Amino acid sequence: MATKKFGIVLDAKKCLNCKACTVACKFENTIHPGEDDYRIWVTELELKGTYPNISQEYQPSQCQHCENTPCASVCPTKATYKSPEGVVLIDYDKCILCKACMTACPYDARYENVHLHAIDKCTFCYQRQPEGREPACVETCPTRVRVFGDLNDPESEASKLLARNHTYQLKPERNTRPRLHYIK
Amino acid sequence: MKLSRRKFLAASGGAFAAAVAAANLTSLKAVAESGHGDAQTGEKGEKHIASSCEMCVNKCGFYAHVVNGRIKKLNPNPRFFKSRAMLCARGNAGAEEPYNPERLKTPLVRDGERGSNKWRKISYEEAFQIVAQKLAEAKTKYENRSSVAFFSSEGLQEGSFQMLAQTYGSLNTVRHPSLCLSSTIQGWSSVYGVYPDADLANAMFVVMPGANRAEALVTPDSMDFLRYRPKGQQLVVLDPRFTNTAAKADKWYPVKPATDMAFMLAMINVIINEELYNKDFVANMTEGFDELKAHVQQYTPEWAEKECEIPADEIKWCAREFAKYAPRSVIYPGRRTSWYVDDVAFRRACAIIPALCGCWDVPGGIVPKSGVPLKNPDIMYPFYDMVEERLDVESFGEFDNNLPDDARKEAGLPTDSVAYLGEKDGSWIRFREAVLRGEPYPVKMMMVYKQNFVEAAPNRAKTLKMMEMMDFICMIDIQMSDTAFYADLVIPESTYLERWDVVHSLAGIWPIATFRQACIEPVYQTKSMFEITGGIVDEMLKIPELWDDTDEEELEYFKEDFVEAILHAPIQDYIKYQVSGFENGYEKLLKDGVIYKTDQGVYGQSAKPGYRFKTRSGKIELTNVKYPDKGLDALPVYRRARQPKDGQFRFILGRHGWNTHTGTQNNEFLWEIQKENTLWINSKEALKLGIKNGDRVVVKSSVGEQTVKAEVTEKIRPDCVFYAHGFGRVSKGMSLVYQKGASQAAILEDYIEPISGNAAMHETFVTVSKA
Repeated sequence: MATKKFGIVLDAKKCLNCKACTVACKFENTIHPGEDDYRIWVTELELKGTYPNISQEYQPSQCQHCENTPCASVCPTKATYKSPEGVVLIDYDKCILCKACMTACPYDARYENVHLHAIDKCTFCYQRQPEGREPACVETCPTRVRVFGDLNDPESEASKLLARNHTYQLKPERNTRPRLHYIK
Repeated sequence: MKLSRRKFLAASGGAFAAAVAAANLTSLKAVAESGHGDAQTGEKGEKHIASSCEMCVNKCGFYAHVVNGRIKKLNPNPRFFKSRAMLCARGNAGAEEPYNPERLKTPLVRDGERGSNKWRKISYEEAFQIVAQKLAEAKTKYENRSSVAFFSSEGLQEGSFQMLAQTYGSLNTVRHPSLCLSSTIQGWSSVYGVYPDADLANAMFVVMPGANRAEALVTPDSMDFLRYRPKGQQLVVLDPRFTNTAAKADKWYPVKPATDMAFMLAMINVIINEELYNKDFVANMTEGFDELKAHVQQYTPEWAEKECEIPADEIKWCAREFAKYAPRSVIYPGRRTSWYVDDVAFRRACAIIPALCGCWDVPGGIVPKSGVPLKNPDIMYPFYDMVEERLDVESFGEFDNNLPDDARKEAGLPTDSVAYLGEKDGSWIRFREAVLRGEPYPVKMMMVYKQNFVEAAPNRAKTLKMMEMMDFICMIDIQMSDTAFYADLVIPESTYLERWDVVHSLAGIWPIATFRQACIEPVYQTKSMFEITGGIVDEMLKIPELWDDTDEEELEYFKEDFVEAILHAPIQDYIKYQVSGFENGYEKLLKDGVIYKTDQGVYGQSAKPGYRFKTRSGKIELTNVKYPDKGLDALPVYRRARQPKDGQFRFILGRHGWNTHTGTQNNEFLWEIQKENTLWINSKEALKLGIKNGDRVVVKSSVGEQTVKAEVTEKIRPDCVFYAHGFGRVSKGMSLVYQKGASQAAILEDYIEPISGNAAMHETFVTVSKA
């Protein structure tokens, strides 16, 4: 196997909605509070049922690092590109803030970074890769909702989880082939 | 008597000095290497410093990523196995604390009416002189050192504050447990002699009454119950509110408030009558089974169903499952248990169930906490003549009962203090009652270390009245808390990222010890509590009137062995002494942030032959042996609590995972998660009252009212309402949450659990109407 293929397998049932991941992301990626900017988020899904028979689930999410990448397809300056491991990245110098990618993204994963004068989003904390460190959201999670790894390596924890569980992807009808896999 | 203490002092002081001398050389080197110890500014480069968190009680380990002398990020310490190497939202947001624009930067003395928010900046030296002068005035005027009360919050620097209290000699120290967990400690200890943990990483059947481990994070329990949950583990949650913990449970019973004890007693009834208990364990390890058996005959599941509104069949199922999986079954002891006036009896009922089934000190059961052995110097403080005993002790007469008007008044509970008053902790509510009464002696001055009782203690109006009676109030904190806001002198402490703190053993099934080293230089030249105590004591020593009621020779020893050897020495010397029993202990701490004997769970300490439980009988007491001496029930007796009348709701408390008590709401990274609290009200009740989601409503009790937005929800019983702690603040120095949302302290009535002295904060009934 020549190349790595990074992805995240999530077990949303473990999510406490504690927000550790979203705060860790903000420090790691210098996102200022109070500006309503974020790279990752936890959605409180609609409460099901009526008292006392109810259930509540949460859905942590972020850029899906799609294999079919609508944001890259629409980018007029090729500012959005993929790393060798399939991580979708942005060349901030090339971005002209046309926001076509924001419209194209089915997951609403992108935002305008006013400090960089560019569109921004989750990069799987690509800056941590040279040191072999996990993304901040993965590392900090109290219950280990996310497992990050090389999906081309059958021995990675992420690959094993993917093999051993039924999983689903978000908005499969958009045929984006996300790299985030949710355990059913 | 004094002579023998003197000998002891000399011996222990000498040992401490010798150990420090031996360790000194290596320490200087290590400090230099870790980038501290030089006063240079404009630091360049990156480093990762191991230390521990202070955003809540858990003290999780992290590595601070420091870039050019500024904290970039806090990353979880992979060696910190007690927290399973995580860092929560607050732990991450802690990186903002040194740079919070509203943090305290310099000592402030009041320059207007109390609470007018008018302050004058002064130096630390002036602040220390003011405190020493005021302490001397109190001593001279009242001829009683206990006229100064010392309130403190939990933390690695609380010990430094206690050093100041003991140097002054007041016996009136008031710590946090009686606004938190003193009733569960008392209840479980009355059965096992200790307050144990529950092994959620290995238990197969877990009953969690009220504890909200998914939101009120406790390490490692909050991690284990989802991350390391054994396959097949069943979690049963009793809570009037559908918390995130209830959302994760296999079964959620929306128990009728104040009736949880009925559920537990009926479980005991089934376990005994169906002979599901562990007969060998009960025969060998416990005391009072026959009395318990006779006592619980009245508490059938059918009876309990009528009390707690949990079906009898469910109670039977729980009892049978519990016994089936024993010893890997637990009733979760819980932490903030300041709920009801009979909370100790309820915790006793909880504690008895695992004892019946032998779920004790084995994987998956209830396990006594172990610690990491540390050395701590014995400090001998001078004896003073001018000291009265604690203000909240029984000899000082009857108090207002502080019990609601119902059957629980008949329980023979003490009305002249509390049955088991913590000697250092006191009982917060009883203490305030005594101060307000002013008898038998006046308390006229307060020294407060980070305890924000204006928002933490029930009945804020009474708290403010108590503060009005004070000649002087000094607050030490990192931010302008509500209590600081009404103080006369505010002394800033360095944040936990800027200071060195002593080593603490974090006891549990996976004991670990941690400390703090400064990750950055103080941003505003602030000081640690250790340094503040040192500064105040130095000023005190310049005032002869403060020392004229003690023995001169004793004072000299105190100066030599404590002031010189400890307060005037670097705190690093103290830390080195604490870990001198470990090979390269200090160096390990600097590098790894932790020290421990084993990273495996510690079980079976009490299974050793000849082990004696710390109860009067030396056994696990199903029937308590010593309680009857104080006129208390030897067995948990169910007495029906009053319930809200039509138009009333019971106000229940809780919090979410991104805030700690009242300490973190003004941190911008956490504030943006939740900007104000909302009143949870059941959708059917809201409909009756014409309240829609987002409407502003008035919540009113007998002691106060608050206005807050309604959150109409299915997630709460119809007879309860709830809003989270820490909002509706009165301090203008916390501008993000000043008057945003509603305060709990403002509307809570001040009932008390009189066995442990814990506050009873779920006894308040309120009305809700559209604003």
